[in-house]
Amino acid sequence: MKEKSKQSKISRVKLFSSIVIILSASSVLTASSSSGQDLTGEEIIQKVDDLLTTQTAHAKMKMTIETTSGQKRTFVYESWTKDEGEKNLIRYLEPSRVKDQAVLMLNNANDIWMFFPRTQRVRKLATHAKKQKMQGSDFSYEDMGSGGEFKEDFEAKRLEDEEKEGRDCYKVELNRKPDSDISYSRLLIWVIKENYYPIVIKYYDEKDPTYLQKTLTQSNIEVIDGIPTAKNMVMRNLNDQTQTVMEIIDIEYDVELDDSLFTERSLKR
Amino acid sequence: MKKQLLFIPLTTFLSFLFLFLAPLKAQAEVDLFGYYESQIMGAKVKSDFYQLFANKLRVDLKSDLSPNVSFGANFDFITYHGKKQWNILDFLSSEITSKIPDSVKPLYVIPFSDRSFLDNAYLRLSFKPFDLTLGKQQISLGTGYVWNPMDVFNIKDILDPTYEQPGHNAIRLDVPIGLASTVTALYSPGDEWKDSAKMLQFKSRISRFDLAVIGIERIWRFHDYTVSDSSQMSFQELPEKRQLLGASTAGQLLGLGVWAEFAYNWMEQTDDFYELAAGTDYTFDSQTYFLIEYYRNTLGKSDYRDYDVNDWMRNFTQEQKAVSRDQIYFLLQHPATDLMTVGMSTIYSISDHSLALVPTVMYSFSQNVDIYAYLNWNVGEEGKYFAKTMGNGGFVRVRIYF
Repeated sequence: MKEKSKQSKISRVKLFSSIVIILSASSVLTASSSSGQDLTGEEIIQKVDDLLTTQTAHAKMKMTIETTSGQKRTFVYESWTKDEGEKNLIRYLEPSRVKDQAVLMLNNANDIWMFFPRTQRVRKLATHAKKQKMQGSDFSYEDMGSGGEFKEDFEAKRLEDEEKEGRDCYKVELNRKPDSDISYSRLLIWVIKENYYPIVIKYYDEKDPTYLQKTLTQSNIEVIDGIPTAKNMVMRNLNDQTQTVMEIIDIEYDVELDDSLFTERSLKR
Repeated sequence: MKKQLLFIPLTTFLSFLFLFLAPLKAQAEVDLFGYYESQIMGAKVKSDFYQLFANKLRVDLKSDLSPNVSFGANFDFITYHGKKQWNILDFLSSEITSKIPDSVKPLYVIPFSDRSFLDNAYLRLSFKPFDLTLGKQQISLGTGYVWNPMDVFNIKDILDPTYEQPGHNAIRLDVPIGLASTVTALYSPGDEWKDSAKMLQFKSRISRFDLAVIGIERIWRFHDYTVSDSSQMSFQELPEKRQLLGASTAGQLLGLGVWAEFAYNWMEQTDDFYELAAGTDYTFDSQTYFLIEYYRNTLGKSDYRDYDVNDWMRNFTQEQKAVSRDQIYFLLQHPATDLMTVGMSTIYSISDHSLALVPTVMYSFSQNVDIYAYLNWNVGEEGKYFAKTMGNGGFVRVRIYF
């Protein structure tokens, strides 16, 4: 039980930030804003979790890092996700510098293997490596590789509704549960009333719940295969004054993915 | 003999495939990439300052000929400039060099000659029950960062341990067992079956740990660096059978990344020896990364006064991985900016208490251009592994990927 909790801890955050993400469950889309008047924070987050319940997904993504000096670094990668984000495989396509580098994340990124094609070497990384920035971006491996649900790691409290990014939203504060080891002590999340899609998430420091670290803004939301999907995500890092833009080039849900795809053997291909 | 005949045509065949067949495939199906790199190395040795420039062009090809068949190859073209002949004796203590006969002293000069060669060329057949890789291919074994006791095919440069390793001609069969285990069999042909390298490895996972057990047999070619062969053109070769049994693991303990690798070597003529590497690493919230790796090699000497010319030369020529018996490697890295990472690696010989300091910097100059540089200070007494008399130096590498 403890292990399960541990595995799920990381997830929420990533999920959203994730790019890979896999949103499913469209049933909640029918919820009306009027019925939402009585919803508690926990109920709203439950609906968000339901919405984001991951099936499988295969995506091609573009990640653009904007540095403090204004320079840009662009990466294109392909990703496969299974079991509600518990299994992830990422393989870089561009630029040439990282071509064919691959990352396998299992158990919600608690187990990470990296493949370096230049040396044909696979390196097992410990949990601490989750904190490392992925290719220097504002997304950590933890952000990218975990699935799971917010309610497992956070206690939710509904705050006063607000308009955000031009959308009528619920505002919910999530405070990390004592037994969770997720890297963020607190989240503030704005959820679109119309479809329970989290449009903005603010991430607070692991130790200081008043210290804002990053803000994720999701936009250009389209329904793909019946699933609302943000095709553009911007993570702003307030510590480093950098930002990373994730764009979905292509995504398909509910694809058939064999478990053998998420193995060291597959990593090397 | 038949097996050998099988291999010679194999290389020829792969070359043919690369040169003729691949271009005939639709061009879009052949992936062409690689890099150009320029390296500058300088070293102050005693009162002299040496510099060596190297330019390398690596061209990689990769193609999926069908869903189950892929092909990969790369050519390396390397030119050297500056001081192209380095005399190893310049780096050794006078106590060692004074014992070397004048007749063999010219053999201690290592030339850096321009080269162009096919580094890798292989065909891979991938089916659900197995992967079969035929041809010249990289072989990477073990979990160590700097030292890999299980790897009898490569020796890493302790100043640049993540640099790519050369390809080896081999047949490799990987058979997955379930999702977490793999059996690998590898055959790297020599002149005859008995001269060929054979390897069998079993890898699996238990809880949060990766585990591997390996057995290897290979002809090992030590040289006696005090005796020239009959041709007087090289040192006397002392080939003997080497049989290795090893194991490795990598996982996590108390939040730290941990790994260990051990190999015991039975030698046909010389003394048996073992190697052990064990390390740990951690990433702090500040993104600072810390790594320590310990390495023991019982071929190395525990008293530096026992180091002889064979120890040094076998280390320089990568016949053995260290001169001293026990050493430890430290690495500290921190992203100074979003495009630059600075670091400090330190190699300390526990056996002779000498030390090499290697500050490093990596800079992402643009999307496909990296710059890597380090300095190297040796601070040990003369005759020790990292003696001051070995010289201090620096290295800059600019690499452009395409």
